[in-house]
Amino acid sequence: MSKGDEDKVKRRDVISKLGTGAVGAAFGLPVLMSVRSLVPNALYESPRRFKAGRPEEFPDGPTFVPEQRVFIFREGKTFYCISATCTHLGCTVQLVRLGRTAADQTIEFHCPCHGSKFRGDGTNYAGPAPRPLDYFKLELAPDDGQLVVDMSQTADKGWRFTV
Amino acid sequence: MAVSPLNQIRRGLRQLPSWEDITWTWKPRSEREAGDAVVRNFLLHWFPSKITRRAMESSYSLWLGTISAVLFLILTLTGVVLMFLYVPSVERAYGSIKDLEYAISYGRFLRATHRIAAHLMVAVVFLHMMRVFLTGAFKNGVLARQNRPLNWWIGMVMLLATLLLSFTGYLLPWDQLAYWAITVGTNIARAVPLIGDGIRFFLLGGHEINQNTLIRFYVLHCIFLPLGLGALFVWHMWRIHKDGGLACHDRVALDQKAAPAPPASTKTYTLLGITAGRTAHVETALIDEERHLVNAAPLLLRRLLVVILLTFLVSAALAMLVGAPLEAPANPDVTPNPAKAPWYFLWLQELVTITTIRIGGWTLNGAFVGGVLIPGLLLLWGLAVPWLDASGPTAVGTWFPPSRRRANTIFLIVCLALILLTIIGTFMRGPYWQFYWPWERWPAAPPRF
Repeated sequence: MSKGDEDKVKRRDVISKLGTGAVGAAFGLPVLMSVRSLVPNALYESPRRFKAGRPEEFPDGPTFVPEQRVFIFREGKTFYCISATCTHLGCTVQLVRLGRTAADQTIEFHCPCHGSKFRGDGTNYAGPAPRPLDYFKLELAPDDGQLVVDMSQTADKGWRFTV
Repeated sequence: MAVSPLNQIRRGLRQLPSWEDITWTWKPRSEREAGDAVVRNFLLHWFPSKITRRAMESSYSLWLGTISAVLFLILTLTGVVLMFLYVPSVERAYGSIKDLEYAISYGRFLRATHRIAAHLMVAVVFLHMMRVFLTGAFKNGVLARQNRPLNWWIGMVMLLATLLLSFTGYLLPWDQLAYWAITVGTNIARAVPLIGDGIRFFLLGGHEINQNTLIRFYVLHCIFLPLGLGALFVWHMWRIHKDGGLACHDRVALDQKAAPAPPASTKTYTLLGITAGRTAHVETALIDEERHLVNAAPLLLRRLLVVILLTFLVSAALAMLVGAPLEAPANPDVTPNPAKAPWYFLWLQELVTITTIRIGGWTLNGAFVGGVLIPGLLLLWGLAVPWLDASGPTAVGTWFPPSRRRANTIFLIVCLALILLTIIGTFMRGPYWQFYWPWERWPAAPPRF
């Protein structure tokens, strides 16, 4: 064998690699296809935008909307919406009334799972929650004038919607 | 001479499996019969025919591995029956568990046995891991061609599979415990950097917990994880075989070397009683057969029978004493207060609670630190254990050897920390996960909004 022959790629090696690759693909692709089939393309989930009711139906103060897990607050003509989903690990926070008298309407949100605590405006101040509760944007439905909560759009703290 | 058709049939019948292939003698009358009871038997072929007394002593192994395997058997048997009775649908899952509890004959007992065996298995598998660490049984000893570290890694994966089986199992009743466990569990998965959202989407089969989620966890619980654990179990046992039995065999071989040498044995046959070729047991011949080895049939088989029966008995008795609880049906609107995981995950719940780190305006969520980082590091440490060990072969197969005092101390401190967190989570956390001493009364739950 001359020296040049050693640098040449051997026919046998090429065919062997092609064969190994083909076998790998034959087993690997069906696995990938199966895994991909488990990533759903069509979802049947509740909409991220929903109608919560007519503005005048809300009492002053917070109202819990269980299906979507949000609190809608009314202060006269002003509305805002705070998520009830804890920013730590997703449990539903509970509204706690701290005030002992009718005049004192101080509220807080406490989480039953890991003890996070939020003030009435959603600011986290104790426990493991890393950030404040989300605010969602509100709007009025053009057809029937109901309040629409858009959970796909978060808003800054202090965001208000005036009817 | 032509063979008569009758003789041909007779000869053919002799090749069919006979009763002797799956039964064995409890009272061998000779060495040969004792060996044959194991070697020629299909059901027992994976046991050695000869074994040291030390390997059978409860003070060495505590039989924890065997008990784990028996519990897995109980779980498989009860689980298959439960599969006939449970419907993995969001609408009907809770109802089918209620039927098990109140309408189906012995349904309550089946479910309670399955649950208590699962709880016991988590505990026993963990204790087994502790035993293997503290006796240095993950280390290679003096016998040739060992790979005990590999078996330690297989065992670590089996421990993980056991925890995942428990997790996926308690989701299936679709009660409050299930729903909020999935919520918290998949949000911990979401805390993984970069791919967290993708993992959660894949686990749930969407953004929300619904039918996609239930059927995923059902298939994982009934097919993937048990088959995976079963395959790992087979591998685990095969490795013990290849490594020359339990690690205490290495110890026996060492002690034998240190002892004044008796007249050299000229025997060359192996434990399997076969002389030709290299077999799995060639190396074990290091142990002087006459001094240290006894017949597995019936000595090992008898002890095995007792362990199996006791495990069945304890599981059944506990199942009758402690029924399986069922919380209110899954309700996404209301998180129970406090919402507690089963005891074996409370250390994790405690960890994610106390590990949110704030440095200046920068916050690291406890979901990541306590839920991903610390368990991940624990797992990495567990996998690195065989490499971190610097002690010699004298530390193999013996409890608390002096050369491993530091490693054992660190290991025990970590285990105690996990146990302490579990105790705090179980007995000292009340509404809103507030700390209460066990003797303190919880305040009446505030009126729900």
